[in-house]
Amino acid sequence: MKNTTIIFGISALAIACAPFALNTYWVDVLNNVGLYAILALSLNIILGHAGLFHMGHAAFYAIGAYTAAILNTTYGVPILWLMPVAGVLAGLFALVVARPIIHLRGDYLLIVTIGIVEIVRIALINNVFDLTGGANGIFGISRPSVFGFKITKPQHFYYLIWGFAAATIFLLLRLEHSRFGRALLYIKEDEVAAGGSGINVPQLKLIAFVIGAVWAGMTGTIYAAKMTIIAPESFSFAESVVLFTIVILGGSGSIPGVILGAFLLVGLPELFRGLAEYRMMVFGAAMVLMMIFRNQGLVPPAPKHYAIKPDLRAGGAQ
Amino acid sequence: MNKRLITLGCLTLALLVLAIGPAWAKTIRIGLMCPLTGSWASEGQDMKQIVELLAAETNKAGGIDGAQVEIVIEDDGGDPRQAALAATRLTTKDIAAVIGTYGSSITEASQNIYAESGILQVATGSTAIRLSEKNLPLFFRTCPRDDEQGLVAAKTLTSLGFSKIAILHDNTSYAKGLADEAKALLEKDGKTIVFYDALTPGERDYNAILTKLKSADPEVIFFTAYYPEAGMLLRQKMEMNWNVPMIGGDATNNPDLVKIAGNKAAEGYMFLSPPVPADLDTPEAKAFMTAYQGAYGSAPGSVWAVLAGDAYRVIAEAIAKTGDTSGEKLAAYLKANLKDFPGLTGTVSFNDKGDRVGDLYRVYKVDANGAFVLQP
Amino acid sequence: MEEFFQQLTNGLAVGGIYALIALGYTMVYGVMKLINFAHGDLFTIGAYLGLTLLLSFGLFDKIGPLAAVGVLAIMVMILVAIIGALLERVAYKPLRRSPRLTAVVSALGASIFFQNTIMAIYSPKFLVYPHDILPKMAVNILGLDVPIIRILMFLTSLALMAALYFFIQKTKIGTAIRAAAIDQGAAKLMGINVDRVIMLVFCIGPALGGAAGLMVGLYYGQVNFSMGWMYGLKAFTAAILGGIGNIPGAMVGGLLLGVIEALGAAYISIAWKDAIAFCVLILILIVRPTGLLGERVAEKV
Repeated sequence: MKNTTIIFGISALAIACAPFALNTYWVDVLNNVGLYAILALSLNIILGHAGLFHMGHAAFYAIGAYTAAILNTTYGVPILWLMPVAGVLAGLFALVVARPIIHLRGDYLLIVTIGIVEIVRIALINNVFDLTGGANGIFGISRPSVFGFKITKPQHFYYLIWGFAAATIFLLLRLEHSRFGRALLYIKEDEVAAGGSGINVPQLKLIAFVIGAVWAGMTGTIYAAKMTIIAPESFSFAESVVLFTIVILGGSGSIPGVILGAFLLVGLPELFRGLAEYRMMVFGAAMVLMMIFRNQGLVPPAPKHYAIKPDLRAGGAQ
Repeated sequence: MNKRLITLGCLTLALLVLAIGPAWAKTIRIGLMCPLTGSWASEGQDMKQIVELLAAETNKAGGIDGAQVEIVIEDDGGDPRQAALAATRLTTKDIAAVIGTYGSSITEASQNIYAESGILQVATGSTAIRLSEKNLPLFFRTCPRDDEQGLVAAKTLTSLGFSKIAILHDNTSYAKGLADEAKALLEKDGKTIVFYDALTPGERDYNAILTKLKSADPEVIFFTAYYPEAGMLLRQKMEMNWNVPMIGGDATNNPDLVKIAGNKAAEGYMFLSPPVPADLDTPEAKAFMTAYQGAYGSAPGSVWAVLAGDAYRVIAEAIAKTGDTSGEKLAAYLKANLKDFPGLTGTVSFNDKGDRVGDLYRVYKVDANGAFVLQP
Repeated sequence: MEEFFQQLTNGLAVGGIYALIALGYTMVYGVMKLINFAHGDLFTIGAYLGLTLLLSFGLFDKIGPLAAVGVLAIMVMILVAIIGALLERVAYKPLRRSPRLTAVVSALGASIFFQNTIMAIYSPKFLVYPHDILPKMAVNILGLDVPIIRILMFLTSLALMAALYFFIQKTKIGTAIRAAAIDQGAAKLMGINVDRVIMLVFCIGPALGGAAGLMVGLYYGQVNFSMGWMYGLKAFTAAILGGIGNIPGAMVGGLLLGVIEALGAAYISIAWKDAIAFCVLILILIVRPTGLLGERVAEKV
């Protein structure tokens, strides 16, 4: 326990100081890493904790980003105020679409979620309800401001994104150890036994789905604010695959693992830039190698230990 | 297990060194942002070849005012998010100006980044109207805008005497923009648009779409998207024995169109495009064609990559004439002093918005041998 | 009505290809419970290898189109089968005892690797099969002009699927494959060499995918390094639609998906056709959670 605290502290410190040591480009790479880390953490609730095969997370991310972008550009609402709205809308959408499909088995759920992300993308491209701007997307999204301070530079965004990431991590740690988190773990390990112990399996799965979607929607707001232009191709199936890979590669169900996964999956293609057109080839091979050498993920979640109450132990152990 | 991990770590480190490597030298650095991977990799790799060729020529001739030119290339992957990163990376590399990129939405994701760093940007294939309507003083492009092409398209379709027109696009920013532009103009002109829809790019079988198109019975199909799909459409149209004429936008200007469709199916196909160097008898265009043939053994792929060459040439010209590499000075020169510069695709001048001026569009027709023939 | 039948044949032609690729997904899934996302790229490799072999041997001039296509198909299938087996050995075998999704990520990595390797070897340009190597005749069926190649292509996919079905159902090796699909441990106890069965499955599935790639190359003419991604996704959809792990299901799913796409494009909207196909898929799965022909197996407890 002590060790992990130290590692956590050092990495937090390193992340907080990074912008002073790096040039703008690497700061912006870290911004992307941060965004993907938050998104992957939100997917981790669904995929890692509840064990639902979900490969369409970009759909919720897209809904959040578009909600924020549309309300910001048409009504001029400051973009960061829209975070809760975007989250709620993404959550509602998740609730509506996930309800009828939550009972599907593993791979069937996988293709349905792929279907959802494709349907959302096609709807966005076709300018559904005349709101989404078609393939052009939405542009001219205003920069966010915090207490009157306008955020424009990558260095500013860095603290916004990683601040939000820190909040996310804190809340997820709480969630993981809560009654709800433990119930999810039970479902993932043994659905039938969990049901038999009185856990309402479909309901908990649905809640996990909605929480993940809300968080992705909120992250979408930050993405929209950072890019100032959003277009449907940023929310494709391939993007969902990246998130899915981050979670599995990092160690499904493990918060430090998922963050490390985000560093590798977003960072490596940038490191390989020197290889020009061969960089994605090397990247693909690296993915296979990492899975072979760390097949539980890079940092698999530590097995749960619960201290047994002293009086129980005194009575039980011989 | 641990040993393997260490090896893996060392490999990663080695690659890191490789990536950050090249030493700094006292030269003029010009950035090139293009799609080296992803769906438009062939355009991007062509852009790279052309710009590198031209830069090598400059350097062989003694550089710009004695300074050697170095091209710094970043891959945008044809994706807005990657483009933003590539742009940020270029801004840290001490470049005088940047060339690129191909797709409009990709360019858009990078515009603000260059603008905020005071770097001159000359886009090459990004034709969306709004890119130059944002008051970005350092933004230029060597390609014409969609509204101009829409105008030419409507005029051409009208002058050929068609009145029942089918419009097909592919829902990309560019193709949809052109389709909308042409549709509005044609409808204002009293023409009937009997069909307006989008195909999915990247597929192989477009028979379902052609069957539907046929039942709408148009006199002509105006196709605003890219050459691979145009080639497939022509090929499958011929297999259906349907002889309706098809006219395309400038994104179908690629010799691969004929390769895909076959000479027989492509014969008679017409498209609008800025002229390719092979059709110009300016000395610049001829010299370029010979040099490209000599270096790579074939003719350049599409006109879009050649426009990157033009972007390089105007930047080099501006640096040579002003003796300066600051974005504002270069931009001022390009707007005020560069008039009728002999480019690879005809003369180049820019207006106040940074758009290329002049009547750039020509109509091409494919002949029986599959060659693109400039129409008078 | 004529248009309807025309669209139906359009859909069946596309669906035949989907079905052939879907078989590879379904077979691998049946035995390994693995979604082999690299399968679409094996299809692309088939298309490219076909082109290379065709150009380098000039078979069409020497032995005539029909024999040439046959020889070419056999060569492509063997080569792609070898690549498939290698893929299994390198990327999946070390992961047999890992969590299921680990192998999925490995497959995604392999897919990225294949795609970019093809791009590096063959250039990112669209490559084209020679024109006019196949006869371009059409026959008149019920008032419709249907190109002969299309019929041949459709019949070939049906023949391949039927051959596979009988192989799995009637031969001893097929029985071994089915046994391994049901319970690997028990199959081992019965003296079945499960490793070899898996190797075999990874030869047959990719071989069929490679054949589909060759057919697409020959018929549509145009090949591109990224084409496998979309075909792979469609074929995976088809396999799920029919009930993954089930061979007749893959055929039905593939054909049905092709027809839904064609009719959706014809009568609703071309731009929305993929969305329509996915909507139908979701509706079918809500009603039949294991696909059309999938068995309702109780989850192992």
